[in-house]
Amino acid sequence: MNFKRYVVPICAAFALGVAACGGDDDDGGGGATSGDGNGQSGTSAQSDGGPVKIAFSAPGADHGWMAAITENARNEAEELGDVDLEITEGVTDSAAQADQIETLIAGKPDALVVLPNEGDALTPVALKAMEAGIPVVNVDREFAEEGAYRTLITGDNYGIGWQAGNYFADQLKCQGNVVEIQGIAGISVTEQRSQGFRDAIQQRCQSGIKIIASQPADFLPDKGLSVMENILQAHDDIDAVYTHDDDMAEGVVSAIENANRQDEMFLTGAGGSKAAMDRIEQGGLYRATFLYNPSMSASAIRLARLIARGEGLQELAEPEVPSKIQVPATTVTEENVADVKELGF
Amino acid sequence: MTTVPPEAAPSRRSLPFGLSASRIELQEYTLALVVVLLVIVGAVLEPDDFLNSDNMLNVLRQASVVGVLAIGMTFVIATGGIDLSVGSMVAAAAVAGGQVADSGSLAFLLGAIGMGVLLGGVNAGMIAYGRVVPFIATLAMFTMARGIALWLSDKTPVSIFQLEAVRWFGNGEVIGVPSAIIVFVAVTIVAWVLLNRTRYGRHVVAVGGNREAARIAGVKVQRIVFSVYVLSGICVAIAAILVSGRLASASPVIGNLYELDAIAAVVIGGTALSGGRATIVGTFLGVLTFALIFNLLTLMDLPTEIQQITKGVIILAAVLIQRRER
Repeated sequence: MNFKRYVVPICAAFALGVAACGGDDDDGGGGATSGDGNGQSGTSAQSDGGPVKIAFSAPGADHGWMAAITENARNEAEELGDVDLEITEGVTDSAAQADQIETLIAGKPDALVVLPNEGDALTPVALKAMEAGIPVVNVDREFAEEGAYRTLITGDNYGIGWQAGNYFADQLKCQGNVVEIQGIAGISVTEQRSQGFRDAIQQRCQSGIKIIASQPADFLPDKGLSVMENILQAHDDIDAVYTHDDDMAEGVVSAIENANRQDEMFLTGAGGSKAAMDRIEQGGLYRATFLYNPSMSASAIRLARLIARGEGLQELAEPEVPSKIQVPATTVTEENVADVKELGF
Repeated sequence: MTTVPPEAAPSRRSLPFGLSASRIELQEYTLALVVVLLVIVGAVLEPDDFLNSDNMLNVLRQASVVGVLAIGMTFVIATGGIDLSVGSMVAAAAVAGGQVADSGSLAFLLGAIGMGVLLGGVNAGMIAYGRVVPFIATLAMFTMARGIALWLSDKTPVSIFQLEAVRWFGNGEVIGVPSAIIVFVAVTIVAWVLLNRTRYGRHVVAVGGNREAARIAGVKVQRIVFSVYVLSGICVAIAAILVSGRLASASPVIGNLYELDAIAAVVIGGTALSGGRATIVGTFLGVLTFALIFNLLTLMDLPTEIQQITKGVIILAAVLIQRRER
């Protein structure tokens, strides 16, 4: 929707850029090259104070979290002031996103920030960008080859499961029946959130905590509602529910409240939506969520800017940006929700 | 239950058509048998949790959302059309209601119905008067309606917890029967009468049977085609109200793939995808079949891959049994 507003300024900036930096183009293309990715561009066109041109590509925002990813990138670029951000989004399949990125590469940005629809499918086009001398910052879903990105920044899906498992072990004192409402079956996010959870309760409680039902609800609230309705029919004694997503959890909460069984159990989400944090603040059924922080796209913009300028992170000894960064999965409960609420989406 | 062979467009059922009418009745009986079989299997596999009034009401309530959509879909398919957009339109209608939720329950209901009728009307206009193939027109609406839902809602669900009247549709009950079930059954009965006992119903089936013959016989074909997509839009609005009431929120991501569930229920019910033959009772039983399968497999906590395979096998089996009965 906002895309149109940017078309004209971007085209204008583009035209100016071509005119002003015409002479530097070869430098940009040849200087900061290639597979090893450590863009050694201390003398790049940007260190003389001009704005850094960053291109950003993410799948269509059909989910609160994805919407926050794009929004955070946009806001960060505005805040930094010296970043000229071109955003493309809205596609829902990998081939279309690859086409989009091809177009972005043709515009010769100083850096490219990509949250791929699927890491595997978009690896070739990311490699192409790297070969064209455009450093790629890979957000969230990892490319199949390390050569396809200069820096990777991800959340910690296994960590979400692990922290949730530990939270359940503490809250239930290693005794009880647990229901798991998963995301989309067969994708890495779901598998990791599930595995981390199982590993943690196994290690802490052995067989003290039983997972009595585990069903996918595809990250969708209405699916979460009907799946949980059926599970409530099957089990009379549920102590806690671990859900893989805050939006989906809304439906699970409705199912439990409609059945008037909210006092029997507690529930946790994942992701970190504002609605979930509101519920945690109120207390009751919704006891905790585990951050999978969409601020990572804002960090990605910062990293891309530093890479384009050939600078490193001030707090680190190395003169360059690290090649991998993992954003931790924070446990959000009644106690700390006030501190992290501004991160909610 | 109504069948009109090509040449007999708007006329009533006389003897030669009695034959094919009984074929559809046969399909309804076999599907009823499938439903009974599922209930028996469920009672054996899950003796404690499956066959009790609580769970049966739960199954019916869950069936009501896709059920209402499938009833509308039956009219569309009876004319030889298809509506791929109902799932996305449910989200758009729910969100439209959510946008005006501050003004109370009535505003929500009007917003949802308005959006359902509007989008259904766009489908209808494109197909009846713009001569766009139904598959394409509703495919376009499938993506547009989802976009409208995300755009209006700014990609975030709106809580409608305070709207008691809307929540009644999802959560209330009348003498122990959930209101969603009452709505679903009422829609089914109205649709049955409309299709089987009115001139309008005969015209709908006639248009699907042989459009040219229907036209010659004086049926206003364009008007009939237009009406079924609007009808589908109204059903969308009802479904949106039921699901939002149940969720206590208006979310832009609901309704995903509901169109496929609705179409599958209509088809295993015995309505011909090519049009000209339609059965409301069959659709009702088809919806029940899927709701029972989903309920039973979740009760058994089977892994999702087993559920998906089972569902596919049962679709094929149901259709095969019906074919053999021919």
